[in-house]
Amino acid sequence: MHDPVSTDVLVIGGGAAGAKAALTAHEAGARVTMVVKGFLGKSGCSIFASHLPYYDESTQEKASDRLRYAVRYYNHYLTDQDHVRRMGVYMRTEFHAELERLGVYWLRDEQDRIFATGPRVPTVVVHKQGASGPIIMEKRRREIFARGIPVLEECAATALLTDGGRVVGATIFDYRHGVTFPVAAKTTILATGHSDYLASRSTATREQSADGVAMALRAGAEAANLEMQWWHVSDMAHPRTWMRIHVYPNPLLGTPESSRLYNTRGDVFYEQKTHSPGSSAPYVEQARRLALEVQKGLARWDGGYFSGYDHIPADVVRTYQHQAKVWQKLGLDVGRDRLECGITWHMRQGGLNVDAATMRASLPGLYLAGGIGCHYLGGVGPVSYDGKVAGTCAADEAHGRPAPALPSEQVEAEDRRIFGFLRHADDGCLPIQLKLGIRDVMWELGYVKNERKLVHALQRLQRLRDEELPRMGLQSTSRTWNSGWLDALDVTAMLDATEATVRSALLRKESRGPFYRDDYPVTDNEHWIARVVLWRNGNGWQSRIDPIPTPHLKPEKAREPFFEADY
Amino acid sequence: MDTIRVRIRRFDPETDQAPRYETFEVPRAPEMRVLDVLDYVHETLAQDVAYRWFCGVKKCGTCAVTVNGTPKLACWEPAEAEMTIEPLANLPVVRDLVVERGPCREGLCAIEPLIQRTTEYPGFPEPLSHRAMARAGHLRDCILCLACHAACPVMAEPGTRFAGPAVLVNLAEVALDPRDGADRARIAETAHVFSCVSCYECERVCPAEIPIVRDAIEPLKRLVYRRGIGEGARHARLFLDSVKKHGRVNAPQLVLATQGANREALGRGFRMMARGKVNPVRSLLEGRAGGAEALRKLYEGSEENE
Ligand SMILES: Cc1cc2nc3c(=O)[nH]c(=O)nc-3n(C[C@H](O)[C@H](O)[C@H](O)COP(=O)(O)OP(=O)(O)OC[C@H]3O[C@@H](n4cnc5c(N)ncnc54)[C@H](O)[C@@H]3O)c2cc1C
Ligand code: SF4
Ligand code: SF4
Ligand code: FES
Repeated sequence: MHDPVSTDVLVIGGGAAGAKAALTAHEAGARVTMVVKGFLGKSGCSIFASHLPYYDESTQEKASDRLRYAVRYYNHYLTDQDHVRRMGVYMRTEFHAELERLGVYWLRDEQDRIFATGPRVPTVVVHKQGASGPIIMEKRRREIFARGIPVLEECAATALLTDGGRVVGATIFDYRHGVTFPVAAKTTILATGHSDYLASRSTATREQSADGVAMALRAGAEAANLEMQWWHVSDMAHPRTWMRIHVYPNPLLGTPESSRLYNTRGDVFYEQKTHSPGSSAPYVEQARRLALEVQKGLARWDGGYFSGYDHIPADVVRTYQHQAKVWQKLGLDVGRDRLECGITWHMRQGGLNVDAATMRASLPGLYLAGGIGCHYLGGVGPVSYDGKVAGTCAADEAHGRPAPALPSEQVEAEDRRIFGFLRHADDGCLPIQLKLGIRDVMWELGYVKNERKLVHALQRLQRLRDEELPRMGLQSTSRTWNSGWLDALDVTAMLDATEATVRSALLRKESRGPFYRDDYPVTDNEHWIARVVLWRNGNGWQSRIDPIPTPHLKPEKAREPFFEADY
Repeated sequence: MDTIRVRIRRFDPETDQAPRYETFEVPRAPEMRVLDVLDYVHETLAQDVAYRWFCGVKKCGTCAVTVNGTPKLACWEPAEAEMTIEPLANLPVVRDLVVERGPCREGLCAIEPLIQRTTEYPGFPEPLSHRAMARAGHLRDCILCLACHAACPVMAEPGTRFAGPAVLVNLAEVALDPRDGADRARIAETAHVFSCVSCYECERVCPAEIPIVRDAIEPLKRLVYRRGIGEGARHARLFLDSVKKHGRVNAPQLVLATQGANREALGRGFRMMARGKVNPVRSLLEGRAGGAEALRKLYEGSEENE
């Protein structure tokens, strides 16, 4: 173990949320330390962002469209509507401006007007559709380095440290050097995201193993609506690594059109303007339509259906879209050829329980920012707002507080746990095999769920935990950049997070948005506009159902068949 | 079954005296990328092989490796039937295929890679012409994968002070931004932009297909040249005087005239020219009317712009 680091505010995670949280806390005068499992602005799903909505609320009608889009289509009523309003103000007045001030170029048209697309809520892009994320995050990275905020990269937080129930920092595993050290922090901001590599096909970056959910649960924090897991339908089937490439189903820049989905026979089964005219983020509707095709034997979850832009002028696609390069790289013609698709585990709408007004988690001293929270789906702009709120409140609370003492027993126990994995696998299994096993359980569970399948998934996870985990060992016990060692820690996080996800799914007895149970195929607005709150109690679990208020927008129907709801 | 033979360079600093190679056979999958091959090896054959990647889809820029001698983005390039995979050159190796990116990060921080506004930001959306922003359009595709850095022969010189093409692409991006007011000529000079010998190796390997020399390095060289600062600019002036006069580089004259100014890079440049690898004049003429006359006009034009 290395010497402890002491800071006012510890930020765990280097996506859009963590970056904004660090900058805000730093501006407020706090000493900030960032810890990133990969590289600041290069790991995590923020780099995947393409469209950035511009919240035009200049008329009453536009404002209510915006609210509808956020509350109904993005969050299926499972959001904090007052938070949506506050966040809207940030999106309208600050988000695009603060990035433009940094030098981000919001794409202009021939008349030098900002290029906006989308039927109801306009979105804008940086440079080209499909390239916004990397550019925004690179600028943030530079801003943070220019400020001199210390950033510890290729360092994973593995455990939150608590003192009398208050979070006082975290243990960090620096896998580049193979050392650990504790960070003592007056306040801690968890910003580890919501796109995790928990199923065989996933949009997540490599390092995302739901560490934030797992470490917070272990420290005693509450999770909420973990079962609200989105799937992408129009992601590429091949090559495997390109399962993260999305053939956008939402309107394309430079045209009111969008891609279409075709079944095995070549019939169109989904197009945004026909099947979800109200929503410019139509992923949940795509999933429902695909489920029907799979039922009819006209598609599989991992292939046998196709997407393409061949009904749109190819030069428009090539001019405004980075994705055209994908076709080109495979020797295909974007104006003619279609790509085979498969479904991918995407981002989580739920997360850790949070008070969105302050971004406080259920444990004192702990704040959340971004996809890790249960309060809102996400998006680079919205998570930046979270970062702003969390950074402000965490810096405020840290101000004037004494530096906490580190709980040495916990620090030592976590060290023993980490170094306990640094042993050879004699007859045992390797961490990567366990990772693949866990992902297989969640892939098999898939989109169509029911009590039987959920219980079966729990049993399979338990078997991995009881039989495989104790035998887990490594091929190499060198300390330097030992990815197997890091995989071993990931496995423990993934087991905890997937178990919690399945348990949460068992508790929600309805279907909603991305969440489909064929034993409860009804969207039940009377009972389930609610947070399914889950937390650990010793070795067991506890739960409760917290209704979510709907002060500004209510659903029209109390109950409706899942396949008839348009959100 | 169709298989891929992959030889991977291994090096564990804790147990290996020197790098070694290990060969694996991997079944081919549809449209397989180099990264899919590495994943297969990691998942089934050698769990401890160290290689870095995050996004899998050409966004994070961390997966570049050397494939059969050429730096490539692993997640983007197709797997070949026979592959030797090695870490990127010109960067210290951490383990196996993982390299230390720190030197490039420092190089990037040193060029002050954010625009420095001379007037107050007017608020969103600020008036901007898409035409002016298009000058750096291609440069915005850079994902800092460092493939160009690994391919650059000047970066391979021990003790080189050249910042390298990856850093220069990002320097040019801000230098060509109409909103930027920093002294980019001075910064480009500190980055030793004139160490570049215009060999086009960086462009050849760039997965984002950025015309690095034309869109980044040459505009930076012109910037320094116009300002007339530093040794590099002195060399550039002599170089261009020679081209203007003779319509080609008079190498002996130039070497004599520069007398040690950047001799190291110059000497290398001429060695490469002699081997037919480099044609510095081509880089200045590309896309324009050919010949000494055109070139003379061009440079007289740019001198008037000072
Ligand atoms: C494929 C895809 C496409 C999307 N498209 C869009 C779009 O077009 N527009 C839009 O607005 N939004 C889009 N989103 C959503 C948006 O990207 C996310 O909501 C947002 O980026 C989440 O940001 P975040 O900072 O919360 O998490 P992330 O960006 O995921 O960052 C998480 C960070 O935490 C780090 N981390 C994880 N574990 C640890 C640990 N143990 N210790 C230390 N660090 C850790 C990670 O390395 C990473 O740096 C898309 C998402 C995906 C997956
Ligand atoms: S210029 Fe091209 S090769 Fe060089 S770092 Fe950028 S993307 Fe990579
Ligand atoms: S053109 Fe210049 S920067 Fe590019 S590889 Fe050659 S010497 Fe290096
Ligand atoms: S893995 Fe991100 S660019 Fe290749």
